[in-house]
Amino acid sequence: MFTEELKAFKRLGFRHVLLQVLNFASVIASGLMIWKGLGVITNSESPIVVVLSGSMEPAFYRGDLLFLTNPAKELYKTGDITVYKIPGADIPIVHRVLETHEVKPKRSSKSKSKTQDASDVAANQRLLTKGDNNYVDDIELYQGLEWLERKHIVGKVRGFLPYVGYVTIAMNDFPQLKYALLGGLGLLALLQRE
Amino acid sequence: MHSIVSRINNTSAFLSSCLMALLAAIALSSFAFTAQPQGDLAISSIKVVSSNARRYPNKKQDMAFVHFNITADLTPLFHWNTKQLFLYLEAEYANAQGVKNEVVIWDRIVRRKEDAFIKFAGKNKYMFRDISSSFKNVPPANYSLKYNVMPYVGMLTTGEAARTSEPVAFPPTQSRL
Repeated sequence: MFTEELKAFKRLGFRHVLLQVLNFASVIASGLMIWKGLGVITNSESPIVVVLSGSMEPAFYRGDLLFLTNPAKELYKTGDITVYKIPGADIPIVHRVLETHEVKPKRSSKSKSKTQDASDVAANQRLLTKGDNNYVDDIELYQGLEWLERKHIVGKVRGFLPYVGYVTIAMNDFPQLKYALLGGLGLLALLQRE
Repeated sequence: MHSIVSRINNTSAFLSSCLMALLAAIALSSFAFTAQPQGDLAISSIKVVSSNARRYPNKKQDMAFVHFNITADLTPLFHWNTKQLFLYLEAEYANAQGVKNEVVIWDRIVRRKEDAFIKFAGKNKYMFRDISSSFKNVPPANYSLKYNVMPYVGMLTTGEAARTSEPVAFPPTQSRL
């Protein structure tokens, strides 16, 4: 079975292999460009996230896909669903805003301007969040912080697509699946005849 | 050309693009439903009680206890792409230091159209406290009932169903309930 394939592979020659490698690389590069481009447009480090826990049930289940934006000048409101990442915690958390407090920015000697920038106000907002499925707010998750600050927030949930993200959870739970998928794709890309 | 693999490939590509188009159509269709139901919200009583702070047992922290009545018919918000409503009662005020605050004091998840006629009288579910730890000299607060419509697929939308007609003042702090 494989001898046939190998023969075909030899017949196609070195140039063909190179071309396929190049194709494969361009697919990966364009994917990365789209991802980073989306990140620039939405001002969010990861504009699409997969829900990893059940703390927002019954709104979001494990494996649902969320689309985020994070406009720098927009204030967060209560009821918004945010994705945040506390330094030291390894996974981002998707929870709803319970309290917002627009704390006045501390007067620094550098910024003498009287008029406050909208993004400056937004940067000084303090938030408290809570998962819909949790009984208490998230203060225990903040790793000693009293409030969530703007710099911890990855984005605000704007759109929702169910189940699609489950592929990534499956790949994380069963690493063999990931390698099988990657290997299979690579092999297909190399052996494909146009 | 007509191998099994290419047939499977073509069929699955076609099916997945059909599915994507269908989902996009459903997501877009929910913009056609623009119901904005209005209800009533009344604050029946507020008490401010001094108690101990959550993290610092030696520090004093004022807690507000708000009793309220809600009547709202939110059934128009349920259409074929509504998975659930997240309903919440929010207090908006600026405290004595001029910090603007929004605090959710009560919420409810509505999952069925049959449950969307809201008639509720009760008190706040979550702690209502100010970040300065005191409600002294805090101007009156506005209360509003808001909702977040969560779809099966597509965009999340928000709206306001009711609002107190005029700001409600905080009473002086009492030492016990």
